[in-house]
Amino acid sequence: MVADTGKTLHSDTTKPVNLPEPLSVEENSAGLPTAVRLKRRQAIIAIEDCWRIDDEWWRSEPVSRLYYAVILASGQRMVLSKNLIDKCWYRQSY
Amino acid sequence: MRILCVLLPHFQISCEKLKHPDLAARPVIITAAVGSQKVVTDYSPELKGLQREMPLQQALSLHSEAELIHADIHYYWLVFNEILDALDKRSPLVEGTDLGEVYIGLDGLQLLYENDDILVDAVRAAVPTVFNARLGIGENKFMAYLAASHSAPGSYKKLAGDTASFLKDLNCDLLPVSLKSKEKLHNFGLHQLGQVAALTPGPLQAQFGPEGIRIWELANGRDDTPLYPRLIEETIEETTTLPSVTALLEVMMVAIEGMLSHAFTRFEPKGMGIRSINLWTRSWMGEYWEKTVQFKEPAMHAKTALSRIKLIMENSPQLGPVEQMGMKITGLGRPNGRQKSLFTNIRAKEHLLDDVKQLEFRLGGPQLYRIKEVEPWSRIPERRYTLIPLSQ
Repeated sequence: MVADTGKTLHSDTTKPVNLPEPLSVEENSAGLPTAVRLKRRQAIIAIEDCWRIDDEWWRSEPVSRLYYAVILASGQRMVLSKNLIDKCWYRQSY
Repeated sequence: MRILCVLLPHFQISCEKLKHPDLAARPVIITAAVGSQKVVTDYSPELKGLQREMPLQQALSLHSEAELIHADIHYYWLVFNEILDALDKRSPLVEGTDLGEVYIGLDGLQLLYENDDILVDAVRAAVPTVFNARLGIGENKFMAYLAASHSAPGSYKKLAGDTASFLKDLNCDLLPVSLKSKEKLHNFGLHQLGQVAALTPGPLQAQFGPEGIRIWELANGRDDTPLYPRLIEETIEETTTLPSVTALLEVMMVAIEGMLSHAFTRFEPKGMGIRSINLWTRSWMGEYWEKTVQFKEPAMHAKTALSRIKLIMENSPQLGPVEQMGMKITGLGRPNGRQKSLFTNIRAKEHLLDDVKQLEFRLGGPQLYRIKEVEPWSRIPERRYTLIPLSQ
């Protein structure tokens, strides 16, 4: 009988794809995004869509996010999300 | 054949106390699911009136104050195997029948140990004192078991010759038969082994079937169960903790694929494949699920093994959302003879993987990944796909 090697295949050998990237976002008094800071500040000229996801509420770290599909002044389309738990803004393609 | 029985009473409770020393002062019941029912697998010694295999509801009606713990069978067997490994150094004939129950064949050991006292001391020294080992010697397994269960702590009991007087007043609950049969014996008013031994075997056989004749023989001190010493075989164990609790088969299969690929790297170069895998999972509530997958021909690649494992997983649903998984590969075998391919370019992928592995070895970690679909329907974007090292 060979003893247990004790080696564990850690979950960190796999990597999730498309993780939310932290982003600096300016918001107005209503909480809507007005500008983002990428390499330079860019104003948001339109909010095309907005949706909310609430999931994994049974876990210690539930998922509660508000997504915005926005158009920047440069014409670029971007999906932003506000984490409703830590109130931080992220960029993530949906 | 003379047999020494080593009993480790309330073994699972002792293991839990090793893990959680604060449990020592609290009454605990350890449970496991058998089909749709939860049964008691062990309990604190101070909880009177309980028995192993007893339905949990029945146990709670007697001791509602007890704290419930889900059995961690994988951990108990790890501890138990360590004890068996230590005992293997005392005798080559060691059988671990069940958790906390060991039988050791004594024939021939008189050449190594002058007398039973020296032998018992050697065996006792191999078992950690925390388990309060009880030892007994008998002419067969059942008599050795009875001797051990009636031995005083720190000593041992030897049963030989005419044992009828010893057996007659013992409770039928000591018989190594199913709980249902024991209850049936009590319902018939047969509470002591002496009462059972006084009967003729016919009525017992009529009521209990094949188990009836065994009950009668055991009550008369006869047990022809042979000793099955442990097989010495190579065992490979892999465990993994899932990134998040899941009930999805696809996610579990990704984890299994990772573990299998990792395991294959250890014996594939030797030209060996898998004959048997013991899969286990632990749910976030601590429930334990276990299944053994056998292969008619050794599975030489992870993919071959995966298709069969997937079928088994589909047909044996999990007890709850899974948090941790593991596998024990116990049967390693060589394939049947096959003619090699003349077309070597078929092996191009294998060569590429060899290069990838070499790169990982040089740079100290996975360098190339492939995208694997995990939960493409998930509302959380980062749950949809994952990157797996190409070498896995």
